[in-house]
Amino acid sequence: MKQPALKTIKIVCLAIVALSLYSCYSVRFVSVEGEEQPDPLSMRSDYYRDKMVVEFDTVVPVNIETGEIEFKILKNDSCKTGKLHTIEVKYPLAARIFGAITFRKKCRIKVKYVCQKETN
Amino acid sequence: MATTVAHAKSEWDTLHNNGPFPLKTLYITELEGEANIRDKFDRYNDAAQEIQRLIAETKAAGQGFRAYGSRWSMNHVASHHDRMHYNGFMNMNIPVFDTDMHSGTSYLKENIYFFECGNTIKRISEVLSAHGKSLKATGASNGQTIVGCISTGVHGSALDVGSVQDYVVGLNIITGPNPNDIVYIERASKPALNDTFANKIASRIIRDDEIFEAAMVSMGSFGFIHGVVLEAETRFLLKRYVRKIPIKLALELSTTMDFANSSFKIDTEVDSNGKPNRPYHYKVFINPYSKKEKDYVVEVMYKKPYSTPYPDPFPLITQSIYRDLIYVFVKVAEKFPKSIPWLIKRLRKTIMPLKDLEKVITGTLPEIFWDAPYQGPAFACSFGVDHKDSAKALKVLSDLTVDEGPVPGIFAMRFVKQSKGTLAFTKFPITCMIEIDGVIWEAKGKNISLEQYCTRMIEVLKKNNIPFTLHWGKNADWQFPGLVEHMYDKEAIKSWKKARASLLSPEMIQLFNNKFMADTGLDSVTVVPEDPDLPT
Repeated sequence: MKQPALKTIKIVCLAIVALSLYSCYSVRFVSVEGEEQPDPLSMRSDYYRDKMVVEFDTVVPVNIETGEIEFKILKNDSCKTGKLHTIEVKYPLAARIFGAITFRKKCRIKVKYVCQKETN
Repeated sequence: MATTVAHAKSEWDTLHNNGPFPLKTLYITELEGEANIRDKFDRYNDAAQEIQRLIAETKAAGQGFRAYGSRWSMNHVASHHDRMHYNGFMNMNIPVFDTDMHSGTSYLKENIYFFECGNTIKRISEVLSAHGKSLKATGASNGQTIVGCISTGVHGSALDVGSVQDYVVGLNIITGPNPNDIVYIERASKPALNDTFANKIASRIIRDDEIFEAAMVSMGSFGFIHGVVLEAETRFLLKRYVRKIPIKLALELSTTMDFANSSFKIDTEVDSNGKPNRPYHYKVFINPYSKKEKDYVVEVMYKKPYSTPYPDPFPLITQSIYRDLIYVFVKVAEKFPKSIPWLIKRLRKTIMPLKDLEKVITGTLPEIFWDAPYQGPAFACSFGVDHKDSAKALKVLSDLTVDEGPVPGIFAMRFVKQSKGTLAFTKFPITCMIEIDGVIWEAKGKNISLEQYCTRMIEVLKKNNIPFTLHWGKNADWQFPGLVEHMYDKEAIKSWKKARASLLSPEMIQLFNNKFMADTGLDSVTVVPEDPDLPT
């Protein structure tokens, strides 16, 4: 194969890999009732602007013994009611690759959640 | 005791990024826990004392003070370069009983509710819904706090109802740091609550129509509005339709509001004689760049008694344009300003409710006007004109937009019943709010900037002798010479300033002033006549 054609194929492949790493599954559940806990110090400029969002990346083991994963939503300054308003789970393609590398024994997910605002 | 944390800051911005504006200190107050102060009035008054402490602290430092809630205003009306106070956590509601009603009241007790300043439209709607009640009207969404709404005149498009402030019947205002500086104000001609209730939250009771009407729309300058008394009504349903109708017909309806004798008819929305019903809400969407189209998209809603079941409205409530798309839009528009008309045409299905054509959505007021998530930096210019002038004003403003633009936004017209508020911008018998909403752009080269556009809009309306007002919470050239004097008559301004001076000491007037007040000339208690030599 000629050198320029090989170069083009490499670039195309790299582009596909780069683009696919950005793609992901994302699902957001939003409660129709109640308000999000506000964050007056928020500097965000995304969907969560002004909202007290808790976010974390985590690796969860996936095997027969732990078929179900459960996260506890604790009552604290970032979640004054301990009740959920919004939850978003992202499962990026990179995480799927990670899962494949670990023979699906581990799964990496990104989680964001916002709790309900206190009512008085 | 309610607790406040003071944060050192250098700037503050609105939700829609219309700033940033300078700021030194941001106060955030949280209420004392319910378990520690069980009595609602004690807990409410405890928060009032905390606000008075902050006012005293600010006064001692020789600085200014401004409160804000959800920061939805799209200009500097809520900002202060010294100290600002976030009151979104101050969201109590106190039940009103038969024994709390004024002996001469014409309000029904079951419709009267008392809310603290930081309650949002959404929260208030939830509380009212639990009692089978509803607000009479809201803005197009539900995130604003009640005091933010009334202070800037937030409105929907309820032709025969009015703006949010028009169903407020009492105000509890903290006007200074002293024991006597907590007042309860309501109309003398239409009292709501008796002295027993008022004395539980205020040290002074003022029943005065002139002061009340002035304080209703006061841009945060009459002190710290701590609580409001609202008149709700029995919960109702709205049936929403979106239609494309000929431009001539849409404008005819806008200028006459004569729906009964119009050819615009929805078969299911007629009276016993087959004549069209008068809608609760009428809104017209206009793409200023689409000169070839013969139709406008209109949104109409009819009020119905509440009954269940009705189809779940949420799957059908249109999702607005996705934020990332807006960013792409802005970037393309900045680079290629001439592409704006083309982009708006391509995006019209997401900007306008075209997806809802021929669909009918039924829901309660808070369901229809639901959450509006943040979608990136945005601007909105909104002019109030007499509905009879709506077609003329729309032409003048859209011609300007096309001739001197392009500007990345589309127009809409909404219609609101006259307000009694002294400086309410819904001052005409039916005010048509002509608004252009869009994404903030960066002007490059010879392209018009948002600031220039705001100035030109005022100039062309003046040039065409169209009386107008401006939405207090939106983008405008607030420094335009003689602007307020042009919009309101001298007596109204005088009355508003007199009311302010009667409530606040000169020191407190200064403390609650901000740049917006200075820009508009509303910061002083004297009336400045409009300069007759100003260019029109």
